[in-house]
Amino acid sequence: MIVAGIDVGSSTSKSVILEDNHILSYSIIPTGAESAGSAQRAMDEALKGTNHLSLKDLRWIIATGYGRVIVPFADETVTEISCHAKGANWLFPSVRTVLDMGGQDCKAIRCDEQGKLLNFVMNDKCAAGTGRFLEAMAEVMDLPLEDIGELSLQAKEEIRINSTCTVFGKSEVASLIRQGRDKRDILAGLHVAILNRVYTLLRRVGIEPCFAITGGIAKNIGMVKRLEEKVGLNALLAEEPQIVGALGAALFARNKPSKS
Amino acid sequence: MVTSTSARKSLQTTLEVPTLRKAYYAQTLEDSKKGRKVAWCSNNIPAEILDVMDVTSVFLENYATVIAAKRLASGYCVAGEKKGFSQDVCGYARMLMGYLLARDEVPEAPYGGLAKPDFLLVNSYSCDSRLGWFTAMNRALNLPLHVHDAPHQPDGACDLAANAEYTERELRSLVAFLEEQTGNKFDSERLRKRLELSRQTSEIMFDINELRKAVPCPMGSADMFTAVWPAMYMVGTKECEDFYQKLRAEVEERIAKGIGVVPEEKFRLMWSGIPFWYNMSLLNYVEDFGGVVAIEGFYRSRERRLPPQHDDPIKDMALRSIRQRTFPSSIIISIDDLMDAVKEYKIDGVILSFNPSCRLSYVPQMELQRSLEEGGIPTLGLECDMADERTYSDAQVKTRIDAFVERLLAKA
Repeated sequence: MIVAGIDVGSSTSKSVILEDNHILSYSIIPTGAESAGSAQRAMDEALKGTNHLSLKDLRWIIATGYGRVIVPFADETVTEISCHAKGANWLFPSVRTVLDMGGQDCKAIRCDEQGKLLNFVMNDKCAAGTGRFLEAMAEVMDLPLEDIGELSLQAKEEIRINSTCTVFGKSEVASLIRQGRDKRDILAGLHVAILNRVYTLLRRVGIEPCFAITGGIAKNIGMVKRLEEKVGLNALLAEEPQIVGALGAALFARNKPSKS
Repeated sequence: MVTSTSARKSLQTTLEVPTLRKAYYAQTLEDSKKGRKVAWCSNNIPAEILDVMDVTSVFLENYATVIAAKRLASGYCVAGEKKGFSQDVCGYARMLMGYLLARDEVPEAPYGGLAKPDFLLVNSYSCDSRLGWFTAMNRALNLPLHVHDAPHQPDGACDLAANAEYTERELRSLVAFLEEQTGNKFDSERLRKRLELSRQTSEIMFDINELRKAVPCPMGSADMFTAVWPAMYMVGTKECEDFYQKLRAEVEERIAKGIGVVPEEKFRLMWSGIPFWYNMSLLNYVEDFGGVVAIEGFYRSRERRLPPQHDDPIKDMALRSIRQRTFPSSIIISIDDLMDAVKEYKIDGVILSFNPSCRLSYVPQMELQRSLEEGGIPTLGLECDMADERTYSDAQVKTRIDAFVERLLAKA
């Protein structure tokens, strides 16, 4: 029984192909300006990874993420909130709290022992305190996104950053750079600013062990370490945290009856 | 041309409201032409008193919702902002200040615009924004402004007799102001009759809300947010009473035939707070999942209106408002009302709107949400302005509602 999940997010599109309890293949590609096209490309790439499957071999496809409604080949949609809970719980059955830090949204999610959604809290409607914010700040500082977490841990001091608004944050960081402040110290401040926002979401939803971080920011060691310290728990991290939503969608698809 | 996002109605009677509203605004323009005095009012100014003083009342907040429902609000807000009103100012006030100060810059005004005012009436107790807004209009128009006050009524900690006396003085002061402005003499008997008619209407409204407890839900908030209009702006008139009699009969008929808003009702929601007037179709959104927004937290009478408390209609109004807490009271009472409604209407979850430019509703909503969650009732908070569409993101709002529905269905 082969099924697929596709997660069309604001930054990246992810696809997972699942056969029973085994991930056959997955893909992660930038979403770009054309979400429907990126969904198709993500699926094509994941299918290519199986070496033998085509779209017609997939018994059921569930789309999730912001672009879920414009995936032409999907059989059904489920929100990324339920999918992250499902995916994280499948990877780590003890998980009850999930923090998904994506490009546009940040979600604190609570689930039961089966990965069913119990409650969730999301950030405000703007991209403040999300992956987009860190992307924009890395760009201002002319640093590769994948390095900023590690660099933030090398800071000698944490410079206080007042704004997690991407527009105001950019000006604040540009001003600090002009003052000759160490980029590592600025990065530490940026991470702490986001951490404080994210922690509020977690407090609102209620933090219960075990705790997993999913989404692109789970690859940022600076953020993960600070969160673990603040929450007082070790975070469970998937080998590839960006595909947890697509994996959850595939798991929902697995429970669907045959199309015929 | 903007796309309409009005709510899909289930009841035939509700469909009559736009005609009534249009006629009401046409009448205000006609009255003004004929030389009848026009008052621009905030909500909670007692319309019955104005009517018996032969004053035409124009409720600005209602007109603001009309503009918002026609999806024209952003243009009015921008005009208001250009005149110095911050985005943090009440959306209704910002829009109407835009209308007032930059008329040539705003989109065409619905219903031919507002009747020209002769004076302004504002209540001081609903929120601070109204006072600031009417003071700004008072300066811009150089027209008389009367402020109508009411006592604060914290639970179990106030002198009811003193509050009733204070309220009576305030009502008499309003009457004196109207007499001075119009030269008309106040007729106590006329007001008594008018109040009796509005009491009868209020009785029918209460019955309708009681009937709405039925399963399946015969009339949801998608209808009631529209159907409540005559009770707010035509109160004490025969047309208003006729409308609600017809509405009650239709609700009764639907219950008798087992007709619900959705064919197979799976879950029932409450909408707490001011809706997003520019997208009322959100109230229908959960219907595709078998859900219904069965009841609303605002604009609903929570108890049957008391019978007349005194032969003198002014004393009667004062005593009723004190005994029925129609004036500001404590959040504890709001929480109790909400929790009772959740039980009585068999509510599975509550959507709370957080309107950033409405401080009056925003802060209590936080407390209501906390109480609901602590009581085991799932909630969803949506933060968008009630009037300014620029604060609304369809994809984000619907993702949150979708996830909330998944949460409710997972629980089932």
